[in-house]
Amino acid sequence: MNNYSRRKFLKTGGALLAASSLPISMVEMAFGKDSEQNFTFAYISDSHITQIEGNKFVRNWDRGLIRAVAEANLLDPRPDFVFYGGDIAQLGKPEEIDHGLEILSALRGDVHYVMGEHDYYVDLGEYWQKQLGPDHYSFNHKGVHFVVLNSILTHEEWMHKKWDSGMDRMKQMARLDNPNGQPFMVGDKQRSWLKADLDKVSKDTPVVVFSHSPLQKIYKGWNFWTDDAEQVQALLKPFDKVTVLYGHVHQIQTNQIGNISFHAAMATAWPWPYPSTYTQQESYLPKLTVDMNRADPFFERDATGWQFINLHSGNVDVHYTLPDNEARVVAFDEKLGHPVDTKYQAMADRTSPQKHY
Amino acid sequence: MIRKLSLACVLAGASVMANSTPLGLPPVPIPENNPQTPEKIQLGDKLFHDTRFSADGKVSCATCHSQDKAFTDNLPVSKGFNNLTGTRNAPTVLNSAYMKTLFWDGREPDLEGQSKQPPVNPVEGGLPNHTPLLEVIRKDPEYISTFKTVFGVGADKITMDHVARAIASFERTVIAGDSPFDSYYFAGEKDAMTPAQIRGLELFVGKARCVSCHRIEQTQALFTDNRFHNIGVGFKTIQGKEQQTAAAFIKSKREGADVDITVLTRKSMSELGRFAVTENVTEVGAFKTPTLRNIEKTAPYMHDGSLETLKDVVNFYDKGGREKNEDPLSGFLSGGIRPLDLRSGEKQDLVEFMKALTSPQLEQFTQR
Amino acid sequence: MDSRTMRHIAAGVTLLASGLVLIPAQADEFDQADLDRWQQEYMSVVEQGEKLFHGGLGNKNTVSCDQCHPNGANTHPETYPKFQQQLGRVVVLGEMINWCIMNPLESEALALDDSSMVALQAYIHHERRGGELAPGKH
Repeated sequence: MNNYSRRKFLKTGGALLAASSLPISMVEMAFGKDSEQNFTFAYISDSHITQIEGNKFVRNWDRGLIRAVAEANLLDPRPDFVFYGGDIAQLGKPEEIDHGLEILSALRGDVHYVMGEHDYYVDLGEYWQKQLGPDHYSFNHKGVHFVVLNSILTHEEWMHKKWDSGMDRMKQMARLDNPNGQPFMVGDKQRSWLKADLDKVSKDTPVVVFSHSPLQKIYKGWNFWTDDAEQVQALLKPFDKVTVLYGHVHQIQTNQIGNISFHAAMATAWPWPYPSTYTQQESYLPKLTVDMNRADPFFERDATGWQFINLHSGNVDVHYTLPDNEARVVAFDEKLGHPVDTKYQAMADRTSPQKHY
Repeated sequence: MIRKLSLACVLAGASVMANSTPLGLPPVPIPENNPQTPEKIQLGDKLFHDTRFSADGKVSCATCHSQDKAFTDNLPVSKGFNNLTGTRNAPTVLNSAYMKTLFWDGREPDLEGQSKQPPVNPVEGGLPNHTPLLEVIRKDPEYISTFKTVFGVGADKITMDHVARAIASFERTVIAGDSPFDSYYFAGEKDAMTPAQIRGLELFVGKARCVSCHRIEQTQALFTDNRFHNIGVGFKTIQGKEQQTAAAFIKSKREGADVDITVLTRKSMSELGRFAVTENVTEVGAFKTPTLRNIEKTAPYMHDGSLETLKDVVNFYDKGGREKNEDPLSGFLSGGIRPLDLRSGEKQDLVEFMKALTSPQLEQFTQR
Repeated sequence: MDSRTMRHIAAGVTLLASGLVLIPAQADEFDQADLDRWQQEYMSVVEQGEKLFHGGLGNKNTVSCDQCHPNGANTHPETYPKFQQQLGRVVVLGEMINWCIMNPLESEALALDDSSMVALQAYIHHERRGGELAPGKH
């Protein structure tokens, strides 16, 4: 009797387990069945495709994006679409953008793109926009208002001053710990656009904002920063439910500021450390964050990954798909009014690999 | 034959109980609910070799895990009841006591769980369920008496759990370390390995990138990390069909299909590896790292037995997880696999090093 | 020797004997100027290390240390020597730096006393200054 009962559990386990521990593939949406407004989408970010020379690209970053695409293609039922969170290329070269888009072309489904600084600064977004369209836009889908911002702009004078070459400007922005770095911002013009766009949206419409920079002020030294974060947040304040999904930081971060939930994406390429591990400077980590597991650098995909978003009743659950690691689910808790890591939120439940120092 | 072996195993069992672990290995983990006793070990040995526990009376655990062949069968995939073949290569029982999960996809958490599956798999033992097996035991006077001694149960109370526990106890004595590598590395005997083997060791922990999965540590070496990795073996079978195969598998699983039977009888689904157990998309095509101890004796290699020799294995890794440079790479390939750019002398040294992992204790298992 | 020279010598000896000429007479005597200068010598090597760390190693695949370790974060120099799983044994920081150079950077290891290796370690330690030693910590 014993051996069969365990087998039965393995067979039917999916339906019996709580939604939070459902495996990511073949997820029978616990929430999705009863409403047209519930849907899923995939969110892949930060591939940093790097050209070595000619047709040779850094193998490690190529494999990262290939892996995310292969895994995302297994999702069943199919997600409604895919969002790409920024930094297709490392230095914004057409060859890098093209090579990245070639890998992404294997994705089943429509893809919406977000601008990253590594795509932008060599030519101020010219090639990227030629291939992919406007760098900020919005659309509605199943009752949710999606907004995409270019949040990696910086001071106009710096962007437009006389550079010896666009690549010089790009290399300044490419270096994360650049002591001469320029802070990211959405900027006046785009904030005006955003205000006009949001004016047409009713306050009870769920809003999801895609941005490459965090729309928060986390650590300026690594540009985990948006200079006009408060002003952008103010524009989002009137709405009942807002979620900001951002890239750039290459790590799990979670926050709730008033009515806005914030979720960071993992990179497919490589992890960044948590800012607190740089002990010479102060930083602020989004307070709900349960750190990703520390990487074993031997496994090139460790501490990389992509996300699968479950949107139900306007709330966002993020399923982090993490090679060489257990998946992590950060789900919106209706009672608490903010996202919660479904397994590790309580300090007592944290594991050793989640301690970074 | 069985009696002589029992003696050797009682001695081995006694030595395990006396805590004399071979050089290079940590103490064998023994679960609290299944302590070792010489009688239990002996019983497990007998059960392990009993061919009556199969549909045609010809297949026992030892059929695929023969002590003459380092507890494997030296076949690419095993032949069970009616000479039916499955999809997977028989792993060795040697040092399996250190495994944190059993089977290539880790679908059982312990030795006790593992031994219950093969008798009822259609291409292994071929029994419809465990009842025929238990009937044989319950009617055998020697078994009745031994089960009474070991577990304190009468014939009609003997269960598959008892059988599994006895077999697991026996398997926990099938330990082999103390190889030339162990003497060289842990006992400081500089002459224990040849110069080629010493160079091979340097490559193993260096350029050839083996040590992160096939672990060596400062005071002991299991040569496995007990984790699951897609290294590209068998990719051709599932190439371009990953989505359909995964979807079909999940559908059949939800409809009640047994994972153990599916993965041994359906070749494409077998290639899903660990995904079949966890349904985790990051584990498609991932299989458990086996130990390299005694690897010279456990050919052929990989979960499907597709690589015949150690040389083939080294070449496969050298090419970054494929047999030929032109072969495509799996999208699910582990981040630990990459082309190694080894020179031919270096490849030879690696093969030589792996031969240094053979334990002299194997002889005690092959005594007849 | 003429008398003028002899008088100079006599004067020098007198001065020496009186201790008015401050030539260090003890082995480890140094002043603030020395300390400042030596600190500068050290920082010049830290600067070299910073350049190497940020793409100056010349490895073909263009991957640089700062891509995973901005400001040397997550290098944990204070924990060495320690058991390093990627190398299977207890190692010093330089050996792990070499592991990174050979693996993610796909390049050739440096000798442990190579000036570039020393510079890299100087930079890494500098960015982690002020913490406690924690040898062996994983």
